[in-house]
Amino acid sequence: MPKVKNWQLGREMDYPFEEVKPKRQMAMVFDTNKCIACQTCSMACKMTWTSGRGQEYMFWNNVETKPYGGYPTRWDLAVLEKIGGGTWKDGVYDGKTVFEEAGNEPEGIAGVLPSDMDWAHPNIGEDQCAGGSMPQGFHENSMPHKHWFFYVPRICNHCSYPACLAACPRGAIYKREEDGIVLIDQSRCRGYRRCVKACPYGKPMFRANHETSEKCVGCYPKVEQGIQTQCVEQCIGKIRGQGWIDMSKEPDPSNPIDYLVRVKKMALPLYPQFGTEPNVYYIPPIHVPPSYLQQMFGPGVEHAIEQYKTGPTDERLAGLLVLFGSSPQIMTKFDVADGIAKGWNDKGELVAEVPLVEPISIRSHHDKKLKVHRMDVT
Amino acid sequence: MLALSALRPAHALDNPLAAYPKRGWEKLYRDVYAHDDDYVFMCTPNCTHNCYLKAYVKNGVVTRCGPTQKYHQATDVYGTKASQRWDPRHCNKGLAIVRRFNGDRRVKTPMVRRGFKLWADKGFPRDKDGLPPAEYMRRGEDSYERVGWDEAHALAAKTMEHLARYYSGDDGARLLEKQTYHPKMIDRVQGAGTRTLKFRGGMPVLGSIKLFGQYRQANSMALLDKFVRNVDEKDAKGGVGLDNYTWHTDLPPGHPMVTGQQTVDFDLCDVEYSKMAICWGMNWVSTKMPDAHWLAEARIKGTKVVTITTEYNSTCSKSDEYVVIRPGTDPAFALGVAREIIANKLYDEDFVKGWTDLPLLVRMDTKELLRAKDCIKGHKTAKLKRTKVVPDGQGVKPWDVEQGMPVVEASRREDWGDFVMWNSAKSAPVAVSRDDIGEFFAKKKIDPALEGTYTVTLLDGTKVEVRPNFDLVKQHLWDTWTLENTQKVTWAPPEAVKSLARGIAERPEGVLFVVGMGPNQMFNADQKDRAIFLVAALTRNVGFAGGNVGSYAGNYRAAYFNGMPMYISEDPFDPELDPDTLPRISKKFAMQSAHFYSHGDMPLEVHGTVYNGETHMPFPTKLMWFSGSNSILGNAKGHYDVVMNLLRHPEFRSPQVKSKRLIEAVFVSEWWWTGSCEYADIVFAIDSWGEYNVHDLTESCTNPFMQVMPLGGIQRIHNTRSDTEVYAGVAAKLAEITGDNRFNDYWKFIDDGKAVPYIQRILDHCNISKGYQWDDLHELAKQGIPAMMMGRTYPKWIGYDQSVESKPWYNRTGRLEFLRDEPEFKMHGEMLPLHREPIDATFHTPNVIVAKPHPLIDPKTPTDLGFPEDDLMGETRQVRNVVLTPDELLETDHPLMKDGFSHQWITPKYRHSVHTIVADIDILSVWWGPYGDIYRHDKRMPWVGEGYVDINPEDAKELGIDDGDYVWIDADPHDRPFHGWQDRPEEAKVARAMMRCRHYPGTPKGIARSYFHFSGASFGSVRGHETRKDGLAKSPETGYQSMYRYGSHQSGTRSWLRPTLLTDSLTRKNLMGQQIGQGFVPDVHCANGAPRESFVKFTRSEPGGMDGGIWEPARLGIRPMSEDERMERYLAGEFVTVEGE
Repeated sequence: MPKVKNWQLGREMDYPFEEVKPKRQMAMVFDTNKCIACQTCSMACKMTWTSGRGQEYMFWNNVETKPYGGYPTRWDLAVLEKIGGGTWKDGVYDGKTVFEEAGNEPEGIAGVLPSDMDWAHPNIGEDQCAGGSMPQGFHENSMPHKHWFFYVPRICNHCSYPACLAACPRGAIYKREEDGIVLIDQSRCRGYRRCVKACPYGKPMFRANHETSEKCVGCYPKVEQGIQTQCVEQCIGKIRGQGWIDMSKEPDPSNPIDYLVRVKKMALPLYPQFGTEPNVYYIPPIHVPPSYLQQMFGPGVEHAIEQYKTGPTDERLAGLLVLFGSSPQIMTKFDVADGIAKGWNDKGELVAEVPLVEPISIRSHHDKKLKVHRMDVT
Repeated sequence: MLALSALRPAHALDNPLAAYPKRGWEKLYRDVYAHDDDYVFMCTPNCTHNCYLKAYVKNGVVTRCGPTQKYHQATDVYGTKASQRWDPRHCNKGLAIVRRFNGDRRVKTPMVRRGFKLWADKGFPRDKDGLPPAEYMRRGEDSYERVGWDEAHALAAKTMEHLARYYSGDDGARLLEKQTYHPKMIDRVQGAGTRTLKFRGGMPVLGSIKLFGQYRQANSMALLDKFVRNVDEKDAKGGVGLDNYTWHTDLPPGHPMVTGQQTVDFDLCDVEYSKMAICWGMNWVSTKMPDAHWLAEARIKGTKVVTITTEYNSTCSKSDEYVVIRPGTDPAFALGVAREIIANKLYDEDFVKGWTDLPLLVRMDTKELLRAKDCIKGHKTAKLKRTKVVPDGQGVKPWDVEQGMPVVEASRREDWGDFVMWNSAKSAPVAVSRDDIGEFFAKKKIDPALEGTYTVTLLDGTKVEVRPNFDLVKQHLWDTWTLENTQKVTWAPPEAVKSLARGIAERPEGVLFVVGMGPNQMFNADQKDRAIFLVAALTRNVGFAGGNVGSYAGNYRAAYFNGMPMYISEDPFDPELDPDTLPRISKKFAMQSAHFYSHGDMPLEVHGTVYNGETHMPFPTKLMWFSGSNSILGNAKGHYDVVMNLLRHPEFRSPQVKSKRLIEAVFVSEWWWTGSCEYADIVFAIDSWGEYNVHDLTESCTNPFMQVMPLGGIQRIHNTRSDTEVYAGVAAKLAEITGDNRFNDYWKFIDDGKAVPYIQRILDHCNISKGYQWDDLHELAKQGIPAMMMGRTYPKWIGYDQSVESKPWYNRTGRLEFLRDEPEFKMHGEMLPLHREPIDATFHTPNVIVAKPHPLIDPKTPTDLGFPEDDLMGETRQVRNVVLTPDELLETDHPLMKDGFSHQWITPKYRHSVHTIVADIDILSVWWGPYGDIYRHDKRMPWVGEGYVDINPEDAKELGIDDGDYVWIDADPHDRPFHGWQDRPEEAKVARAMMRCRHYPGTPKGIARSYFHFSGASFGSVRGHETRKDGLAKSPETGYQSMYRYGSHQSGTRSWLRPTLLTDSLTRKNLMGQQIGQGFVPDVHCANGAPRESFVKFTRSEPGGMDGGIWEPARLGIRPMSEDERMERYLAGEFVTVEGE
């Protein structure tokens, strides 16, 4: 099996195909501290892509409460059990990825096929906290919280080493060279569900009436126009940033994705130990015990949380985080100066310009010209 | 061979990471994404946000929608600008609303209940009590008939004319008496049958033309009264309007007690300016979604986020500090914090002395504020500069936008007089007027005493003992609310009280108290407000951009549209038909609280004494017509008592229920078949929000935007009309009946102008909108761009004038008032901020005042009031004044504890719905917690998602209830789910709550929670659930879809009336405009209810699993507090180890 470089593991790993990178790779950063689990992203996706027959149960985008939630039910626990544990030593993971712990799996990938019932309850675990029973009377004034949960919004990670693609017996799954979006060719797919089983994130879904599997298409009809995906554009928590990542180049601190993923190192991949090199990066929640977060986001968690907490004194960081969601366009460059954060698109057009603090303006009590008093108690 | 070939790649591929042939299929998703057309509409559930949405149309059908992304282009006549941080604005509910436009439960054409139609067709026959015969009034079990619009309009008009006539005059009064209406209510009718016709547009600012239109309709009933009784126009009486904000228990009722006006609050984005945001019983993250990012972003920039809560909720998960207290003990908690602030001298003396009534002297003999005219020789009542005094009877009009200050009539001003402080420097009393506030007070260089007892000689020579109010408040705090006692009553650890006190006091002008409905929906809500204001005032946190008190509920502030009388109170006898000429205003309708309707249509009478003020006295209800308002019936607190004992004929009630009160006509204007429609006589089929045929306008109490509604961009989907077209249609029939064409003229500009002339008249007469022209606003609206509301500030907050510019509040002293010395407050022992136990949701004796002995806490006891002290019946409890110390309280038990009742059951709001709007849309229903299942594998499920109750897992296990089991929930059997259920087993089956139990570790033991949004069981849904093959709780008759198999979260609630909210004496501003008055004002000083008050018992009903075992997911070892070993490993993060850096 070919060896490919997986930077998230800090090492090479086995993958069924040779390493080829797209011309550019779509990437996103989700700030879990801003995510409110409103499911607006889920609805934006659902109403756009999966409102048809056979798609009733599908949420290509979902938000789940961790640690008790999962759609499909206990997807991550199942994969963790399957591949076993591992140790991060100085940023290198020594455990086995889904490609390396395949055993006798016919796809060559350690996968878990969710049952029908695993898809049934998309919000199991919602707002249920870990840490045991809440006492009658409690005061928390430090981090991490003793009782905790947090929200994880999830889409297809458009992985650099997709397990779905590797598992497809029809060769019907591919990665677009122009943006790295991973697609299931609906004209070729015959619905073997190998991708459903192989994807460790549980993101391909079987559509019985079409006898095909479907999954998040990265809203390519929008991305082709330079517009963010539905789930990013419509995120009212303004938790999401979308852009491009290229690990073969030096990090560009004016690229929002590079800045957060590679410069500040505060946005981390989801379950990097699975080995697929996912391209959605998460800013971990600051109130959750690091042991759980390291299992989920890798060894950089504590550093990321420390970085996040510098917001009050780091204008550039705070500026970028309030710039999130301020334009429908994909922002590939940003800058923050004098209390103003700006974002530009690929064409170099200024598409967002926001104040770090929304300015207050005071109106005159009496507008003599219009003959009216401006008052709040009216 | 075949199998093998099928497994081979269908085409030669070297490496699908590199390239893929034949990508033409990708057109598929481009086509899915493409749309033909788009237009802007407004989403207006009562969430307060009001978002313009862009609808995407394909083949004439709206297939999806999204944000307009243009809020940042909002501006005003002064060029104020909003930033791109405002976009996008919308949410999950707005996106799913498309499925409501096109859904199967749309009201597609007018529907009439068969029994009602028969009754009307037969000429409204009646039996000996004057009631309609029972067979016509079997609401809930009846069937419906589709009718045309003409017939629907005619039927409504005929009914209104009949009822107005039947209940007019002495004959009408006699009939009402026979039907057991209270004599004082009958007196209020004054012989006008139109006063029994009630109208309500639900949260009317959400669509001011369509919803305020109900009040305009009420006004037009004066034309009917003139016809029926043949009275002079000046004596003709309109119908009765029902309240909104207070009906929803959204008013923070203590705000008018402290400030004299409705509510203090601020745009949620103001959190930008705060150093600490305290989400107090307010789940900002789940209920104020489009503005949640402001909180998260403020936190990134250093604002400390604190939550005061009764469970670990979603906002806790975004908080730096949180405190879990016992539900309903918020007043005690705030008082504990206030004590700690005072004990450590952390308060802001300048603010306390300059902006509050705390330095004012209180006479210990009369227990009232000392007046300057009584003790200062030669004192003349101050001539005010910042309050306008007008001759009696010459008050200002609400729409007079040139009034820039509070207005009071001369005799009232004289009655208030001026007040007195103890001038420490001179050791003498000194007069202060309501002008002497803040900077103006500072100029007087008075240093008032805050503590001590002084003797003042009155002008008649009497010596009286006086104390500053501060001293009296302090005594109560000192004696009662020690850290230890605060913990005993509230459960709050002492560290929490200390930390909060210090944290708040360290941040003057920097703490926002973002108070929600958690504590507000308890009976003691006003005391919670008074206590929180006390903490805020002590620390200089009222009225500033970053330091203020806010209360968050529905989109209430009708007063921003103070030009609304131009529309609702236009003289029906002289309607203005020239769009450019101002109308004459003549208010003919009356207002009352709807809480009396849900109280069996009775006042607050206990043991023969009426405890509500005359100004609050309700009218008998014979007809109700409401628009866009499922809360008034379908999701009403005490819903099942209203249905069984007010809407169903007395013949179908228990013999225990002596009431013969019956609402004879219920009209509902709706676009979705709600629980209210299940009991309606006529359901008018209304256009959806995507199909506006008449323009409208709205504003918001939580954001700075004022918005107008463009017309819909698609053809009507069904045979529907706009709300106002229905009013006009019925009016046309009334014109035929009465021969009075003014009924037609009154709605002229609905058809002719799509309401634009009405809207412009309103715009021209509101302080926040004068200067805007319809055409401009409309052009922007079509692009999804709002206008700004033009108050003092952008973003807006209440209190800038008072705290920053030292202008007076709208009460007597002009200061933040913590003393209430009116007779009702004396009688009920509530002169000071204090804590009363919840009236039902407590483990202890309900509704007792918790205090050590104090001279001002001396209420009329049960003995004084003439009823036995041990009478703890719900009705009596409302006026029962017993004072216990914290230790004495803890020794008592709720009277139902001995019968196995064990839990406070609270019903907060949540993220997947706004009230009941869209909770039952399939793709949202499945997100409700763990039980959603779009394919309903378990056919017992009422719908694809269902209501449930959260119980602490330890409690559940003790009760023998597994995660996912169905349980019965019972509240006080005396009055819930409805009076007399014991004798009516079929009705009881519909009303008794049954739902799944979720093991939920975030709620402490003893506390249970259900969300508020699910549509409740009706007769039809129960029949469907029990007879349909698919088991859906869906009415075979109407298609109504319940999210419970039986009962609802309202099975445990009832109407609660609080006497201190029903006074004739409280000084407060009128609803709209600058005039100050006294007593009842709808939505300001008005019954407020207490829908989070229930003390319940759980009984396991059915196992959760489809096979009779435990609910299937609970067998997986992954559920909270039932984890297996591998889940334990997962929670501990043991699947990885991190070594090195």
